[in-house]
Amino acid sequence: MSDELYFERLARESEQEPGPDAGAPARLLSQTYSALIKAQQASGPLLDVTATKAAGSPLCVFEELVQITPAGQQVKQMFYCSVCHARILAENVDKAPIWWPHCPYSAFQK
Amino acid sequence: MVQEAQQLSDSELVAAVLRKDRKATAEFLSRFGGAVHAYLVHRLMPRQDLVEDLFQQVFLEAWQGLESFRGRSAVKTWLLGIARHKVQDHYRRRLREVQFDEDAPDPADGEDLMLSLEQDETARGVWQVLASVDEAPRTLLLWRYWEGWSAESMASETGKSVKAVERALARARTQFKQRWYINEQRLGGYRQ
Repeated sequence: MSDELYFERLARESEQEPGPDAGAPARLLSQTYSALIKAQQASGPLLDVTATKAAGSPLCVFEELVQITPAGQQVKQMFYCSVCHARILAENVDKAPIWWPHCPYSAFQK
Repeated sequence: MVQEAQQLSDSELVAAVLRKDRKATAEFLSRFGGAVHAYLVHRLMPRQDLVEDLFQQVFLEAWQGLESFRGRSAVKTWLLGIARHKVQDHYRRRLREVQFDEDAPDPADGEDLMLSLEQDETARGVWQVLASVDEAPRTLLLWRYWEGWSAESMASETGKSVKAVERALARARTQFKQRWYINEQRLGGYRQ
């Protein structure tokens, strides 16, 4: 078998579909999530926390507090994770010690 | 009835991300991040810095193009397509910087590789050896064999002659084989 054919076969047979549990590192997911949210905000406000909850997604304890506060929509559209310790930890530490329920940065650790 | 983001179908999830639903955006990353990351690792290893850089770029570009995503392909396929373009842009840039010696003699072929690729262990070995090959030859091998580009296309994309690319590929294959045998001997030593 020629070298050329052999390497073609080598490539074909070593290529594997990632398994169902293949995941990206939590730190990278956290950094990318923050960057994505920033990009979304650049073209207008996020969906507010009340509408987010109504769409079926549970909120974290801090978002829940904002949600029940009698504040205007602008306040409820803000991205509170940007000032949260969980985000800072998750973006900088592998296996960050955060366990807040319904926190995306905590969910990335699983 | 409302559904948590994890329960949404891929197309429902895309619609929720377009509404800038923060939880759906997190689920989008969790759902597709693994496949994109695995692809980038295989194409760019051992350059973890590049993997991370391109991973972010893929998802930011996906967000910019999400509105025009029509669902003709699966979301994962579409994202992997963006990743493939990013990787090829990197290969192109990297190989443009490298000088290929067109007149260098062809390396001796050496022994044939006699790999049994039926075993997972061997497939893992291939990736390990590839990661140990120098960056320019590794890029050539990945672009030619794992991405399936012809030497002619690689030459035209990098501004080199076909002959120079073919010679460089021959040297890259030789380096891969040498590293393969070193790896085998090392593992053989441990196994004894």
